[in-house]
Amino acid sequence: MNEILASVMNQILLKGQFLVLVYFLGVNGWYLVLLVSSLLEMRRHMLLIADESRHLLLSSTLSPRISILAPAFNEEATIEVSLRALLALQYPNLEVIVISDGSKDRTVQVLKERFDLVPVKTIYEQRIKTKPVRDLYRSGTYSALVVVDKENGGKADALNVGLSFARGDLVCAMDADTLIEPDGLQRMVRPFLYATDVVATGGTIRVVNGSEVRLGRVIQARVPGNPLAGMQVVEYLRAFLFGRLGWNRLGGNIIISGAFGLFRREAVLNAGGYLHDTVGEDMELVLRLKRLSYEKGGPGKIAFVPDPVAWTEVPESMKVLGRQRDRWHRGLADVLWRHRKMMFNPRYGITGLFVFPYYVFVELLAPVIEAVGLGALVFGLFFGVVDWTFAGLFYLTAYGLGTALTSFTLILEDLSFHRYDTFRDRVLLFSWAMLENLGYRQITVYWRLRGLWKFLRGRKDWGVMERKGFQKPVGVVGTN
Amino acid sequence: MVDRHFLDVVMFVEIALLVLAAALFFAHGLWLFVTHRRVLRQTELARQSLTRLVTRGTVNVEDIQLLRDLPQDVQETVFLDTSRNLTGSGKERLRFVAREVSLLERAQKLCESSRWTRRLRGTRLLSRMDVVDPKVTALLADPHPAVRAQAAEWAAAQPSEPIIRAMLEMLADPETQARFAVQDALLRMGSIVAAPLAAYLETHTGSPAESGLRVAEAVAGTNFLSAAIRHSSSDVSGVRVAATNLLGAIGDAQAAERLTALLKDSDSRVRAAAAHGLGRMQHWQAGSQLAECLRDSKWQVRREAGLALRAIGAPGALLLRRALKSDDRFAADMAQLVLDLPEAATAA
Repeated sequence: MNEILASVMNQILLKGQFLVLVYFLGVNGWYLVLLVSSLLEMRRHMLLIADESRHLLLSSTLSPRISILAPAFNEEATIEVSLRALLALQYPNLEVIVISDGSKDRTVQVLKERFDLVPVKTIYEQRIKTKPVRDLYRSGTYSALVVVDKENGGKADALNVGLSFARGDLVCAMDADTLIEPDGLQRMVRPFLYATDVVATGGTIRVVNGSEVRLGRVIQARVPGNPLAGMQVVEYLRAFLFGRLGWNRLGGNIIISGAFGLFRREAVLNAGGYLHDTVGEDMELVLRLKRLSYEKGGPGKIAFVPDPVAWTEVPESMKVLGRQRDRWHRGLADVLWRHRKMMFNPRYGITGLFVFPYYVFVELLAPVIEAVGLGALVFGLFFGVVDWTFAGLFYLTAYGLGTALTSFTLILEDLSFHRYDTFRDRVLLFSWAMLENLGYRQITVYWRLRGLWKFLRGRKDWGVMERKGFQKPVGVVGTN
Repeated sequence: MVDRHFLDVVMFVEIALLVLAAALFFAHGLWLFVTHRRVLRQTELARQSLTRLVTRGTVNVEDIQLLRDLPQDVQETVFLDTSRNLTGSGKERLRFVAREVSLLERAQKLCESSRWTRRLRGTRLLSRMDVVDPKVTALLADPHPAVRAQAAEWAAAQPSEPIIRAMLEMLADPETQARFAVQDALLRMGSIVAAPLAAYLETHTGSPAESGLRVAEAVAGTNFLSAAIRHSSSDVSGVRVAATNLLGAIGDAQAAERLTALLKDSDSRVRAAAAHGLGRMQHWQAGSQLAECLRDSKWQVRREAGLALRAIGAPGALLLRRALKSDDRFAADMAQLVLDLPEAATAA
């Protein structure tokens, strides 16, 4: 009996291992397709933008108005620098709306003092239900600045309030601590000028940790020496430069980063704005806009533009990073569950038939399959069901190929923007890319599994993000 | 279970890929490091030479030779950068030097290339140098929208009658990229486009007319009046909105009369634009019709009507106060909101 059981177990372990192996082969094969696609897309993009005269857009009366929505919660230490950088962005028709989401510190007071704010009245249409607005201010020195002080309701609620007050045709959703490069908006607005079916565009997010920052501007990009931040630099490059850019060419983009995205205001309002009861509100909105474009018609193209850059600070402690990844994965699970109707549904075109299943089987379930594969491998090795040769093959397929693809992403970055130009940066970047799969990735599997578990248990909290700040250490800035 | 030889092959392939990637990554870095320093040095010298040639107006053979010997990309960068800061005689001298170093000749050849990326590069060069060249005029009909858009940008500095005519025909371009560039270029040409644009609007309908009406709104003049009135009855709502905006920008008595009629249009965007236009003109005679719009089902129309009433002064304020007692809750609310606004808010 025991022998039969052992034989069955052997077979399960062996077959399971092969299935996981085939899965990784498939995933890495698809990544290769994305890499090639992103190479072609990058080449086309670089040819289009070489020597383009964006200064014409700066002085054109036809440039669409952009309203920047910057939600802020307890940001008294950084708000002045961040806001001055936003007001100095090179765009002709700009409005900046800061929404203090019930800040308990001196955020509003700092804004009042530094930007000569005066209370005003205005008429606005509240098309989305939000928490009450306490006060509205305009700046005596910056005519483009509007500050809304409202009761705390979370980031989504703050963005919805901003949408009501915005007067721009386009709204730029961002985090208050994101540093947008001066010409970022000029670059990101292009798809809206060039096509009528674009509903949202996203730019590249890069990691600011370790870089030299002065007055809200990144003066010199540097690869951080901290391993955790360094490996996130590699992750961000891979996600944006070959993930999203590759999908762009295939028409399958459904993610715009919440830290830097540009949307048609009317389309967002018609869709009902940001959802409150999800931790993945940015992805949810984009997927809803995409879905509505299939169901009701109207613009539905999501475009990723690689050259506009926004810089963000990433966690440097395991605890905070774990919370972030756990939240991201919960958000992904929640969004995919809400829109499960799209799965394999031909009504939603390529999104339903291909992109959505990809996100389910590759992005959402990858940690489960990876954990099963790793667990079975250890178990199989222990009981002698699999040999070391197979284990080696498994590791090379699952991680080795991924490492090779990542290293080619670094080349893509180097051939296009080459922001990291010192020898030290190159050595560090390549080292982090090589080391990423030796422990770090396996830890992220655990965090993502934890997120999935919490999603199944219905947890929807955000956790706390500890930031060091760009200039000097500024203590703790919470997300709500 | 798995052939060891197979594992060795996989491992070898992956190691080879990694080594290749590392070699490419670091070799490219080294190449950038070396060329960057060289290019910086070359660019600096070239800028000095070009500045001397442009500012002094005399031909120095050594400077010309230095510019001629530059790698093409550095040469183009130096000329393009310098062109941004020059106009008039300075630009004329820059063109002369560009001709001497064969840059213009190369740009003209690029414009004839079968590859759109090269045609785009050629058009960009000629465009920045403000070179009058029939080859670029021909590119206004290029198959690629980016090239057409670039040619339109070039055309903004060449406002001749045939070019304006060609540009107006491009208002019907199916690609937004080219259409936007054409609209922008027409605006940059200034008042010279007013008469041909008015004539164009008399003969065109639909989407091309909508693009033209947008340009006309920015130019604004009574010569667009008859076209604006005609298009304000279009079947296409987008055209009606653009025509209504144009009527508001013209500000003529006839325009006001038509705007008053448009307050009853079936499209709320047209009604809102009409109310906005009447407020802009401070056309107090439309006060009662605007007050009626405070009961409109659409918030945007009620808002524009309220602000228009406030803009027309005392008669409008009186009508707003009357609306406070309206049996329509929405009209009373909007009137209250508008009356509560400080002066600066209505001006904004």
